[in-house]
Parts: sequence; C-alpha cells; structure tokens
Amino acid sequence: MLRFWEKRIKTGIVTENLEFDKEFEEIKKEIKDKIKKHFAGSLAVRMVDSGSCNACEAECNALSNPYYDLERLGIHFVASPRHADILLVSGVMTFNMYHHVWDAYKQMPNPKWVITLGDCAKDLGVFEKTYAIKGIDLPVDYHIPGCPPSPKKIMREFLNFLKTTSIS
Amino acid sequence: MRLIARFAKENKNNFEIIDVFDKEVKKHFLDKNNPKIKTLTKKYPAAIWMERKIRDEFGIEFEESFDNRPAIKHERFPKDIYPLRKDFKDKKIEFSKFTPYKYEEISGDSVFTVPVGPIHAGIIEPGHFHFSQAGEEILHLEVRHFYKYRAIEKMMENKNPLEITKIISRISGNESIAYQKAYFNILSKASGFEISENLNKTHAILLEIERIIHHLTDLGFIPNDAGFAAALAYMGKLAEEARRIFKKVTNHRFGFDAIFNNEFDFSSLNNFLDYLKNEIKFFENWIEDIPSVWDRFDTTGRLTKEKAIKYGVVGVGARASGIKIDTRDNDFYKKYGFEIQLGEKGEVADRFRVRIKEIYNSIEIIKNMLDVKKEEFEFSVKDGEYMSFVESSIGELFMYLNIVDGKTDRFYVRDPSHINWQAFHTTIYKDIIADFPLINKSFDLSYAGNDL
Repeated sequence: MLRFWEKRIKTGIVTENLEFDKEFEEIKKEIKDKIKKHFAGSLAVRMVDSGSCNACEAECNALSNPYYDLERLGIHFVASPRHADILLVSGVMTFNMYHHVWDAYKQMPNPKWVITLGDCAKDLGVFEKTYAIKGIDLPVDYHIPGCPPSPKKIMREFLNFLKTTSIS
Repeated sequence: MRLIARFAKENKNNFEIIDVFDKEVKKHFLDKNNPKIKTLTKKYPAAIWMERKIRDEFGIEFEESFDNRPAIKHERFPKDIYPLRKDFKDKKIEFSKFTPYKYEEISGDSVFTVPVGPIHAGIIEPGHFHFSQAGEEILHLEVRHFYKYRAIEKMMENKNPLEITKIISRISGNESIAYQKAYFNILSKASGFEISENLNKTHAILLEIERIIHHLTDLGFIPNDAGFAAALAYMGKLAEEARRIFKKVTNHRFGFDAIFNNEFDFSSLNNFLDYLKNEIKFFENWIEDIPSVWDRFDTTGRLTKEKAIKYGVVGVGARASGIKIDTRDNDFYKKYGFEIQLGEKGEVADRFRVRIKEIYNSIEIIKNMLDVKKEEFEFSVKDGEYMSFVESSIGELFMYLNIVDGKTDRFYVRDPSHINWQAFHTTIYKDIIADFPLINKSFDLSYAGNDL
C-alpha cells in the first residue's frame, strides 16, 4: 500500500486542458440562470450507440480518464435517459436500433437536446446507405464532427454547445 | 477439425456454402429453386449464428437444425426478403408487423427472467442479454445481437476493391488495424505479390500497439467492475498515453487508414515501451496484493477447455483456458520473440493475467522489429477468391473476398467475437448476476464486428 501512495504522490495530478475550467467559469456566469433553472447546476448526458464502430464510445470513455476528467466541469454521463438533459447519439442508426433509440429519446424529460457524435451520425461518413441503415431522424440540435472526435474535441464542443444553445 | 466460418454466396446458377475449417475448405452447391443443406450445428455449436444469418440473408434452409429463429431479422424486419441475394437491390425497406422473438428461457418455481439491453447503462455498444435467474444465481443466458447490423457485406458489393479500404478501417474500431491487415493481405494476394519481411514487420508493430491499447483498457475496466476504481484511473492514464503514441505513429488515435496511408513515425516508440514496461510491472505487483479483487476474479466466469474446444473459441478467451491457438504462432513472429501466453482454468483471473503477459510479450516483439524502413507498394488486383487470417486484439480474424470482373462480388469477414459470443453463456452458469459485467469485460468482445 505504501508503494501505491509513493507512486500516487510522485505522479501528481495529470489532468490537462485546464483552460476549459477558466472558460467554463465564464460561461457559468453567463448562463448561470439558465443552468440553475434547467440543468440544476450540471449537464447530464445519456449516450446511445445507434450503430457505430465503437471508436466514439472509446473516446467518450476516455473522457473520464485522469487526463480529461470531464466530470469536473459538471458534465457527466448518466445511466438512464430519464436522468438526462442531452441524448448523445453515435453511429448510423441501424434499422434494428431505430425504435430503441427513439424509445430512449421519448423517455427523456423536457427540456431535452440531441447531440450527434461522429461523422457517420450526420451523413453516414465513409459508409453507404443500405437497407439495414435508417440514418438519424431525431430532432438534432448540435453535431460534433470527427471520425472519431478526440476527447479534447468533444469537451470543446460540449462547452460550445452550452454557449450557443438558447433555452426557450 | 475446428470450424472457422460457414457462409454463403450466390453464383449465377446456384447458391454456394463455404465451410472453412482449420485444415480444409469445403464447398457445397445448392439448387436455387430449393436451397437446403444439412446443418453443422450438432457437431459445431458455433455454426448456429452463422446458419441463422445465412437463412435470414439468403433463404437457405438447414436440415435437422434445432434453432430456426431469425438472427439479423429483428421484430420489425420484413420476413419475406433475402437481402444478400443478388436480385435484392433496395436501399430502403419498410418496417413490418411486430413479431415477438422467442427467447431461450428456463421456467419453474421461483425462476424468473432478467432482460438487459439493447441499450445499457454505461457507454457501451448495444446488445441484448436475457438471463434466467434463480435468486442471485444465473441458470441460463441468451446473448442476442445484430442490433448494429449495417449490412457491411452488401455495402461492399460491386465496388472497386481498392476503394473500400476506408470502410474496412471502420467496421470495428478496436480492431481497425487487424481488419486493415487482413484486407491488405488479400489485396497483395490478388495482386500477386509477396509482402516483404520489412512490410510485414511494419504492420506487426501496428497490430501489437493496437493489442497493447486494447489490453490496457481492459486491465482498467475489469477491476473497476469488481469495485476497484483505482485500477481504472491507473490504466485509463496508461491507455490514453498509449493512444497518443499511436497518434504519433499513425497520425490517428485508432490507426484508421494507417496501413494504406503508409506514413509512420516510430521515433518515440522505444522510450515509451520502456516506460510502459515499468508501469505494468508496478501495476502487476500492486494488484496481485489486493485480495478483494482476486476474490471476485477467481472461480468466476469459467470457460472450460472442453467447451472452448467444442465451440472453437479463439483469442484471449481460448488461451486463458489453456488452448494453444494464436495466428501469430508461426516462424515469422517467433523470430521476433513471440511466445504464446496461456492460462489454466479459463476464469476471469486467467484472462486478466493473460492480458498482462501479452502486453510484456507485445512490447518485446515491437522492440525487436523497430529497424523497419519505409516501403512503397502498389496493387493491381486480379479476379479470384482470396482468404486471410490475422490475430486481432480479440482473436483470430478471418476475411474472404471474391473478385469478379474487377469488382467485389462477395466480401465476408468472421470477427473473433462471432464465435466467442456464442460460447459466452457456458461461462456464467451459477455465477451471480453482479458478476456478469466483470465476465463480459474479461472477454471484451466486439458487437460491431459481430453484427457487421
């Protein structure tokens, strides 16, 4: 156990992109009321894979590694769509996932937003239309491009979404 | 004999069933008006999903088969179409009437079912797990997939074989390099050139980096599912560092398109591997001393050697059960330090330790190969049938391509997950349901590669 603590202290904190904290503080001031009212101080994201290659999911998992530590900004992934503000959808939306993704969307309380993640969620990316692909027809509010978008890019786009999205 | 794949293709005058075994390839030709063939499932249970898929996609019947349920045709999928037949050209189909799927369920006094998925609580691919429970104990599990079915095989048809490499790269994100390498081998065979030792080494380095990253991720997630989150933080950090090195090497965090772009920078690799080796050593010493972790790992999720052989399980799953099966087990890899890494009992603990041992071995292999030079290649493919095998981070990957008149006539790939998923249910009998995530992560199979 001592070995572990020695290692722990030697390694220190590796979290990067601290510029986001500053930026987030500013945004917070700007949209403080909005966040308080609608997001209860934090942003809850429910991620659903509608038929991706799994790289987008791997990058979302990377968001919680010590280098990115996304949750420090108050943005966190939740287990149920009923706890979510945002539905983050990756993949081409297959025929077999279509109703399940829509079910998840319908379970979310209002107000709610849909963010698509990765090139193939927008226009299939390198893939081509087949009978087994429906394409995403949810009411999409924001798109995060990339194949896959890097964790840093996803963080930047989340903040950008918060800045630019208006809440009625 | 070990069954590797059974798949179908349509020829002008007949349907063809191709059975690929480790020692031979058998072909059967079926009458188009009444296509039927004897099932393989009685001897080879891993043929079940393969035959169900063929029945759905080609309308070929399997005599004496005991499982005739649909695989890719889910509840609202039209039943009367056979989309992989050549005369099916629709890009769009309509939802049909909801037909319930008959799950394998055990019934009886105080036995109940727990359906899980397709959408899961974490950030993970979609698939359905149907448990029959007696209290905490799992009596049976049916794994149901093909939610991510994108019809990759149909997408590839009638294309210039050189123009589908971007899709190949993105069939299964965690195994991108393995898919690219398998396809590269096919294209070189079709072009009639031998891949040089230098180029094979270059690709092997990439494959081993991909394997290291995959193992690192699992070494974090497996203990995390046993409630030991510090390991996830530790390994999450290492996996991220390895991914950044991968980005330096291939200009992409997952190595997408890397083998075909052929631009590499290996300069930072050697130092990183030395560092990584030390970090893994620390991790190994540290976690071997945590009894609560091994309390969960030992005796959990046991894949017996007999079952593994019966199902033809490949990859880490097979090796952890003591089966010597690894596509890299050849003279080329052995020359650069490859040694097969085996477990004994096939439990979560074995798969965990095999992954650690394979990281050490991958580090050694890469270090022995680092003197590679840049080398150009050019393809000019000729018609014919081509096959290739590559050891992906999950296990043996099999790929098939038939080229007719310069175009892809039939593309098929058998992801290692396609076999291993089918043996999965044998590992959890009488384990508790809370062990399921742990066991699942210890195999870490691909959903996208299985579903296609």
